Amino acid sequence: MKNPDNDKEKEAKKAAMKTLRAQRKDLIASASSRMKTQKKDIKAIKEFLKGKKATIPDIAEGIDMPKDETLWYIATMKKYGQIVEAEKEGAFFNYSLNEPEKTQEKEEV
Amino acid sequence: MVPTNIKNFDTLVVGGGIAGLQAALDLGDQGYKVAIVEKDASIGGKMIRLSKVFPTLDCASCITTPKMSAASHHENITLFTYCDLTSLNHEGQGIKALITQKPRYVDPIKCIGCRQCEYICPVHVSDAEQGDFSARKAISIPFSTAIPQLPILDVEHCMLCGQCEKTCPTHAIDYFQKPEEFIIQAKTAVITTGFDLLPVKNNFQYGNGHIPNVIDSMQMERILAPHGPYNRVLRPSDGMEPDSIAYVQCAGSRDKSMGVPYCSRVCCMYAIKQAMLLSGSLPLADIIIYYMDIRAFGKGYEQFYQNAKAMGIEFVKAKVARIDKGENGSAIVRYENQDGSGIATADHDLVVLSMGMIPGWDPRSICPVSKDSDQFITSIKPKISPVLTNMAGLFVAGVAAGPKDIVDTITESGSAAMEAAKFMSNSHMEN
Ligand SMILES: Cc1cc2nc3c(=O)[nH]c(=O)nc-3n(C[C@H](O)[C@H](O)[C@H](O)COP(=O)(O)OP(=O)(O)OC[C@H]3O[C@@H](n4cnc5c(N)ncnc54)[C@H](O)[C@@H]3O)c2cc1C
Repeated sequence: MKNPDNDKEKEAKKAAMKTLRAQRKDLIASASSRMKTQKKDIKAIKEFLKGKKATIPDIAEGIDMPKDETLWYIATMKKYGQIVEAEKEGAFFNYSLNEPEKTQEKEEV
Repeated sequence: MVPTNIKNFDTLVVGGGIAGLQAALDLGDQGYKVAIVEKDASIGGKMIRLSKVFPTLDCASCITTPKMSAASHHENITLFTYCDLTSLNHEGQGIKALITQKPRYVDPIKCIGCRQCEYICPVHVSDAEQGDFSARKAISIPFSTAIPQLPILDVEHCMLCGQCEKTCPTHAIDYFQKPEEFIIQAKTAVITTGFDLLPVKNNFQYGNGHIPNVIDSMQMERILAPHGPYNRVLRPSDGMEPDSIAYVQCAGSRDKSMGVPYCSRVCCMYAIKQAMLLSGSLPLADIIIYYMDIRAFGKGYEQFYQNAKAMGIEFVKAKVARIDKGENGSAIVRYENQDGSGIATADHDLVVLSMGMIPGWDPRSICPVSKDSDQFITSIKPKISPVLTNMAGLFVAGVAAGPKDIVDTITESGSAAMEAAKFMSNSHMEN
């Protein structure tokens, strides 16, 4: 059976969230725009690494991203299990997609 | 409005670094009720963020985590993390502190530390805990060995998308949490607020933090740590394994123009330690330490220094005048040799600045305890009891009183705990 108290609670929470969103409008806007850029960048890295491995300079050149930023993303994606380190090539390491993670991560991006 | 939530303890410890933890454990073990108030989201201070420690090369987290855990499980110790100390004054026979619990936006009772919120969060934020070399999420547990294992929702970067709330299996997310004020009344207090590094951005000669691959010593600790940003030593500008690494000693310390005329005491030893660790991970790399003089003052430290030389680490007695951006991510170090051979330059793949230590807390307008000319808390009897301050019942330990290593910090904390216990038993006898 439907509990009217539950409904009331839900409505109150919805209203409170609306007020909070209005209060944090500017922060939310900048966080959203940052998230969109990040999503695009991560997607580009994943596309580039599909079926191959590459070093930071290679990835950076391939997706037209500064090398330090590429490393920042790769270090982060490695931490969250999306990327694994592969063998060394000269003074650089290669990186590839963590295949078992691929399907799960697709949902996230 | 004056908060009505008053908590009573025997001792208030301000700062949950190794100094605060040791003082709290020494008092707690004697049966005193202790509160530790920590501004960060986790206890552990700088020591839990280090890779290994000189002179033993013990893994820092292996020896800090047991202390953190002992304090958090101790029946006589209560932790208050992620708190701001608003005021600390004498009141009656004891001490009264006004404290604000900052909102985590997570219910600490319901949260089980499973990190599902962190994994699902779509916003990445540069992670200062990893030297800004990688990212965390807008909701995240600060680091893997943090105590407590509670995430913080970073409002500045939150989109309020609701994903963390939906994912949390225990309904612990609370977007509406507010700061909460409370009062701690105690018979005594121990200040253990430690230090920060002088920011590189203040150092014009060394590029104000704008030259790629010129980093500070805490950033290098993270690069060397097993759970560091890259899990190996790489150059932040492009992921290259560096072949030539330089240390610039007294970068900011012993320099009046930087406001740090004193010696920070630990930089020689930690640079030698880091150089040894680097030589272990990159056996073919050239590692050079530019120094004014080496201060290896503690037990076994001179031997540690000699071992580093025997390992092939190069010590160049020189004052580094400036650093400039070089080609292909290198940094050009210009230095004046102290042997009279004049000015020289060298290219390095990575340069580490041993920045000076500055106080972690300024008591101004919070607590009437007095500061020395170096801005650290004044010891009124620096020779015979360095933990005594100008406020009765308020003691100081660790780097809050001046730069020192972990060994001296721990010794001083034991001394502060003893003085606090003596103060409490004396006032008990008087009453
Ligand atoms: C790069 C580097 C490497 C080092 N390596 C070594 C080593 O190998 N061996 C060694 O012996 N020493 C080493 N040291 C020195 C060592 O870090 C210190 O001796 C030690 O951390 C001092 O502990 P502390 O508790 O006094 O200070 P901290 O570790 O700074 O802890 C202070 C705590 O107080 C908190 N705090 C500050 N202000 C407030 C406030 N207002 N309210 C509440 N909490 C507050 C801080 O958040 C922090 O948690 C190194 C130092 C550096 C910079």
